Amino acid sequence: MGTLTLYMQYIVNGLTLGAIYSLIALGYTMVYGILKFINFAHGDILMVGAFIGLIIYNALTGGEAADPSAWTLIAFFISMLISMASCAVLGMVIERIAYKPLRNANRLAPLLSAIGVSFILSNGAAWIFGTQSRRFPYPFENTPIHIGGISITPHQIVMVVVSVAMMLLLTFFVNKTRMGKAMRACSLDQSTSMLMGINVNRVISLTFAIGSALAAVGGMLAAFDFRVYPSMGTMTGLKAFVAAVIGGIGNIQGAMIGGILLGILEAVGAPLLHIPNGMRDTVAFAVLIIVLLVKPDGILGKNEREKV
Amino acid sequence: MRKVIALLLVAFVCLAGVVAGGSGESSGDTYKIGFIGPLTGDNANYGIRCSNAARLAINEINADGGVDGKMLELIAEDSEGTVDKALAAYEKLAYMDEVCAIIGPVFTSPALAVAQRCQEDGIVMISPSATHKDVTAQPATNPDGLNYVFRTVPSDALQSEVAGHYFYEVLGYRKLASLYAMNDYSQGLALGMKETFEALGGQVVAEETCMVGDKDFRTQLTEIRAAAPEAVYIPNYTVEDALILEQAAQLGVNVPFLSSDGFSDPEIYNLAPDFTDGVIYVGPAQAEASSILADFQVAYSEAYNGDSPDSFATNSYDATYILAAAIDRADSADTTAIRNEVAATDDFQGANGTMNFAANGDLVASQGVYEVEGTTPVYVGAFQVVDGHIVQVD
Repeated sequence: MGTLTLYMQYIVNGLTLGAIYSLIALGYTMVYGILKFINFAHGDILMVGAFIGLIIYNALTGGEAADPSAWTLIAFFISMLISMASCAVLGMVIERIAYKPLRNANRLAPLLSAIGVSFILSNGAAWIFGTQSRRFPYPFENTPIHIGGISITPHQIVMVVVSVAMMLLLTFFVNKTRMGKAMRACSLDQSTSMLMGINVNRVISLTFAIGSALAAVGGMLAAFDFRVYPSMGTMTGLKAFVAAVIGGIGNIQGAMIGGILLGILEAVGAPLLHIPNGMRDTVAFAVLIIVLLVKPDGILGKNEREKV
Repeated sequence: MRKVIALLLVAFVCLAGVVAGGSGESSGDTYKIGFIGPLTGDNANYGIRCSNAARLAINEINADGGVDGKMLELIAEDSEGTVDKALAAYEKLAYMDEVCAIIGPVFTSPALAVAQRCQEDGIVMISPSATHKDVTAQPATNPDGLNYVFRTVPSDALQSEVAGHYFYEVLGYRKLASLYAMNDYSQGLALGMKETFEALGGQVVAEETCMVGDKDFRTQLTEIRAAAPEAVYIPNYTVEDALILEQAAQLGVNVPFLSSDGFSDPEIYNLAPDFTDGVIYVGPAQAEASSILADFQVAYSEAYNGDSPDSFATNSYDATYILAAAIDRADSADTTAIRNEVAATDDFQGANGTMNFAANGDLVASQGVYEVEGTTPVYVGAFQVVDGHIVQVD
């Protein structure tokens, strides 16, 4: 096999990994854009989304035995919608209980609260579901397609397509709708927005709802590859956070670009630099440090002075 | 609102206290046996099965009147599969509960750390599953210079030697690739197998690594595909192996996969049922079909909701009985007396057949080879390396 094909394969693999990171990074970035705070519980919402999706999917199809058919595909979409809705509600509830009372507190307080929520979610899931990994059966035939030495699975294509579609929808929503305009206003200046008659609380709730729904999608798509287990959100969440920072936290397109870039770096970095693959996370985090040193605001981040 | 949250938090803390306090209570005149293994986390399946088996053995012994009329008590501590949690668990068991022996730790890295402490403090440790060759090679740092570390699982040194010979001599492979996690267990096996395999004249054409907990192995598998080996050796735990097999199929790595005793956990067939066909793995030699093994399997399945024990759980069951017999002979909770009796174990008849310990605490054993058909492992036979060649024992 030629080196070119080899690297094409790495890039295909990296793209799909990156698509998942992007989808999750969107949630970090949206919340940060408006509240200037990092919602560390986001990764665990992804896990909750995957569990809810799996349970509903299994209930609809009768579990493992179901062979891929039109019905499993419909069942998958139904379970995804329910999972998105549940996670949206969960995100809003968490915001109301754990973050809103701390909105005017020291900036560290909501961050710690978020870490607490993250532990409650993952330990709660471990308590309810047990700690073992569960398989999410494919709702469609996942026979790989071979194009000149490169293998692509339908699942990988779905991941990339869904991620791109979600990002386009979100961009449209933020740029073209009234609510999106309110969001942008809030991210610029909350108190002025409030004076202009924008219901800031509602905007924040909506931000959490959308971010969490996207995490649910990410969780369910990742579940095929990663399996479903209570701590699945931790590392994935951390990587997505890195992606958000690389792309410029607070910026929606930045999250997408950061995610894809991180995925490709992870897949290509280790073989390119001839370091063992077991150490490939080193590449990802080394890039994070370099980005922070060279361009602290990320690739698409705006260079704005922090108002303290 | 804030008050409600505060109340909820207080309620939570109280609840946590009750749950945590319930497990470790001692009841009068008992022999306490500690257990260390992952009871939560990604690989909890191993730890839970091992502790279940130990508890089953203890319940059976207690139902039979205990040891000299005294009951045995199992105190299970969670290591989450990590070294620091295992050491914390050891400290609780050794200094607070003052157990007379420890079963576990389940994983190699924690076992290496706890083995050092057991040697130093003079407390018997029997691991049912830590296979790294160095587990039983910790210096006896206690004042008497006695070895306190035993295991009821064959050493990796043995497993990787048999694996290397079997792949080369029986399967006839000359070019292998390996993909292993950067932990003591997987790395120990992969490097040991490579040493044997290359000494015989074979070649490991691609040696790829990953981290425990990795979910994406496509980069490594792509490199392996490019190196075109005849087979791939994946001596990892089930979660990683399941993903490796699935992603290898997706990438079109259409060569046989070879694995280690980690593959003997039936969880693999839940995680990757479509991809296990044809996998050959070296694991524990199967005991001759004995009534002890069959009875254990039935009793385990009845006690734990129809779950079936893996080979490590069987080892854990045997370890508990060996320990109980040693305590019985020692007739005291004195750790040195118990150690002497464990070391003196002579042709113990357990679920795994006849068991003896070598002077360093290693189990004297041969290795089994299994070939998976669909989702059922089929036993090929037991093998030993004699005079540099592999020999089928039965």
